[in-house]
Amino acid sequence: MTLVNKVLLKISTAFVSIIGSSILVFSIIYLLPGDPVLSMIDPSVATPEMVANLRKELGLNQPFYIQFSEYFMNVLQGDFGQSVVNSEPVLPKIVEHFPATLALTITSAVLSVVIGVTFGVLSAIYRNKWIDIIARIIGLFGISMPTFWSGILLILIFSVYLNWLPSIGSDGWKTLVLPSLSLGLVGAGFIIRMVRNSMLDVINEQFIVTLRAKGLSERVVMYRHALRNALIPAITIIGLNIGELLAGTVVIETVFSRQGIGRIVADAIMAKDLPVIQGVVFFSAIVYVVINLLVDLSYSFIDPRVRRAH
Amino acid sequence: MKLVNWTKVISISMALLLLLSGCANSASTKNSSAETNKEADAQPKQGGELTYALATSPDSLDPHRSGLAVAGRVFRTIFDNLVIQAEDGSIQPWLATEWTVSEDGKSYIFQLRADVKFHDGTPFNAEAVKFSFDRIIDPKTKSGNALSLLRPYVSSEVLEEYTIKINLATPSTAFLSNLSQNQLGIVSPTAVEKYGDQFGKNPVGTGPFKFVNWTENADIQVEKNSDYNWGPSNVENKGKPYLDKISFKIVPEEATRIGSVQSGQVLAAETVPPQNIASLKNDPKTQLLTVNTIGLPYTLFFNQRKEPWNNVKARQAVQLAIDVDSIVKTLYLGTYERSWSPLTPGIVGYDKSLEGSVKVDIDKANKILDELGYEKGSDGIRVKDGKQLTLNYVDGSPNREKRNDIAVIVQQQLKRIGIKVEINITKDVASVIYTNADYDLYGNSQVNSDPNALRAIYHTRTPEEEAVFKGLPGGSDTELDQLLEQGTSELDQAKREEIYKKAQQKIIKDAWIIPIYVFPYTVAASKTVNGITFDALGYPLFNDVSIE
Repeated sequence: MTLVNKVLLKISTAFVSIIGSSILVFSIIYLLPGDPVLSMIDPSVATPEMVANLRKELGLNQPFYIQFSEYFMNVLQGDFGQSVVNSEPVLPKIVEHFPATLALTITSAVLSVVIGVTFGVLSAIYRNKWIDIIARIIGLFGISMPTFWSGILLILIFSVYLNWLPSIGSDGWKTLVLPSLSLGLVGAGFIIRMVRNSMLDVINEQFIVTLRAKGLSERVVMYRHALRNALIPAITIIGLNIGELLAGTVVIETVFSRQGIGRIVADAIMAKDLPVIQGVVFFSAIVYVVINLLVDLSYSFIDPRVRRAH
Repeated sequence: MKLVNWTKVISISMALLLLLSGCANSASTKNSSAETNKEADAQPKQGGELTYALATSPDSLDPHRSGLAVAGRVFRTIFDNLVIQAEDGSIQPWLATEWTVSEDGKSYIFQLRADVKFHDGTPFNAEAVKFSFDRIIDPKTKSGNALSLLRPYVSSEVLEEYTIKINLATPSTAFLSNLSQNQLGIVSPTAVEKYGDQFGKNPVGTGPFKFVNWTENADIQVEKNSDYNWGPSNVENKGKPYLDKISFKIVPEEATRIGSVQSGQVLAAETVPPQNIASLKNDPKTQLLTVNTIGLPYTLFFNQRKEPWNNVKARQAVQLAIDVDSIVKTLYLGTYERSWSPLTPGIVGYDKSLEGSVKVDIDKANKILDELGYEKGSDGIRVKDGKQLTLNYVDGSPNREKRNDIAVIVQQQLKRIGIKVEINITKDVASVIYTNADYDLYGNSQVNSDPNALRAIYHTRTPEEEAVFKGLPGGSDTELDQLLEQGTSELDQAKREEIYKKAQQKIIKDAWIIPIYVFPYTVAASKTVNGITFDALGYPLFNDVSIE
């Protein structure tokens, strides 16, 4: 298969995923227990007219297929409906808040790579030395600590006791440090383990012995040759991790009181604001599919073995 | 090499991260000497910005549309009301200077202040009041809480520029106190016309603070209204506020919220969890303010549509077996007060004599159930006619104020008298409770300013009313109905209080409910903040606030 064909195939699969997720997202309203309209208004003040009006507003008095095709056509035109809480259109709201989430996701990804690769490499080189032990502890913490807990711990240490960094807000780089650290630690934990293991594997391979025998300095052997080969599995993890990071923003944005679409969806769930929930979930699905498409494609360019395998 | 330097920096800081939690205590005691806790100077300091962390985000700042208490905490600063309710329950002037009630109790004439204007320059007058109230009853406004507070309002007549007559369908003694509630704030007619549906994002009132900006999920800012000169009787500073600005931040995670006060990133934060209250009391930099909300306390309601809870004896057995004291002490660590009545203390007509009136008596409870013919089976659960005595205890999710934990303790306590409690935690309270009435016991609370709130809950409901949503007790008692009707129309304050005392006694005597706790609104604030006070309903007031 040529490269162009392969890219086209991947893109069309991505499109199918997006249609599939739109059906799922749309069905949320039917998967909820009970009557969605009644759960959206305060029953102690509801009048039958209010119930009927909201039902009409949400289009729930129409048959399923009409509702779905209307929803889908509207979405294609960029209309995700409007919030039932304050009548605001959903898409502009997402577009307005997405950059904050994107910034958090990217810095978290970068942090997890920097921390993960650094400690992974050091821990392989200095195997069973103190730095290895510290790296493994960090790895263990990152993997096993839930982000809301590590987030609160970071706030306690760096905001309450040391007063170095702000605990809340989303303006300026300072407010990004703690949230992306707490979110990035999860990925870092996995990457540390991955890089450490593959470094150890690579170090024991024969070409390393050959390089050493050729008289190259240890530094060049490790960083130029061993690390390069050890990084490939790490890239896989990073790709998979983007989805985790995106999902993690729901918790982290709430803990650190940041702006972002994770926060919007958390609030919308509390307020049972269905159009907003649908909009954000669908938007995130699109982002996730697109990022995975890019990661998928990038493998072919980074790792020659993947290219050959197809 | 660069990479190596980087790794050094990172490894050192990571190591610090792991070690620092151990040094945490020494770091915090270092700052305690900075404490300056003198009494406030005679002249409060002008200026400054108060940052106030809220637990949840307001839905809208339109007082006539919002249904959330948290929104009220913000728009209370932006809007004023015709009258204000003082702590003793009396109604005092605010935007209205005086008023008279017609003999039949169906119309009110208010004299309004002539020196008031809205933040956008629109003059405040009888037209504006009429506009506000007519707006609430207009279905297009989609008013919820405001509408139920304004009822039985029918119409307004502008008699003169500053005189307005308000007509009611039926007399209502709760009307004046309802007018003091923040949802019935007076809005600027020009601003409503200008912003339409988006008025909730651009609120304009006559209050001590003007709306500046609302960045979603970040903050809501209000600034001093320099023209303000019509403060109500429940604040000392009737003129413009001392503060330049208030910035309400929305910080849902409680640990972060309290941490932000301790780190000084915000000056005050609301809703302190019980486990933090004790530690904050010992924090030299922080003060803790608590006010009990008024209205209906958190109360467990028996569903009298179900067997055997339609029988007063069965309900009394449960009433005798639930040890409310131990529930409240265990879960809230002494930070919540136990309640004894269908009303909270502090509301007009609250019956203090009910305090201590119900005592735990397991033997008596067992005896009652024996008499009803329920016999203990081999597993300790009582059985009658081959059916186990079960109680379907429904509670909502998420676990607000640890209410789910109350269910678990009640389950243990009722085991002692042979009742099997089945706990059903649902996300869908609307259909389980209000549509299907599928519960034996369910708890709820309500903030309200007047004992007339009892009527909506405890009065017999018509089939039409039940068709819209099911009432919580599902019971009917003609004597109680009469008392609640008299309470709505009785104009003599002393007689009215007597009526409500009788109603409360009847509800407790017949074991319609198990009252559990009174919810305290708590604020943790830096000691540099002076003058945060609360209105009769427990909403914070910022007129007197200054920052040292």
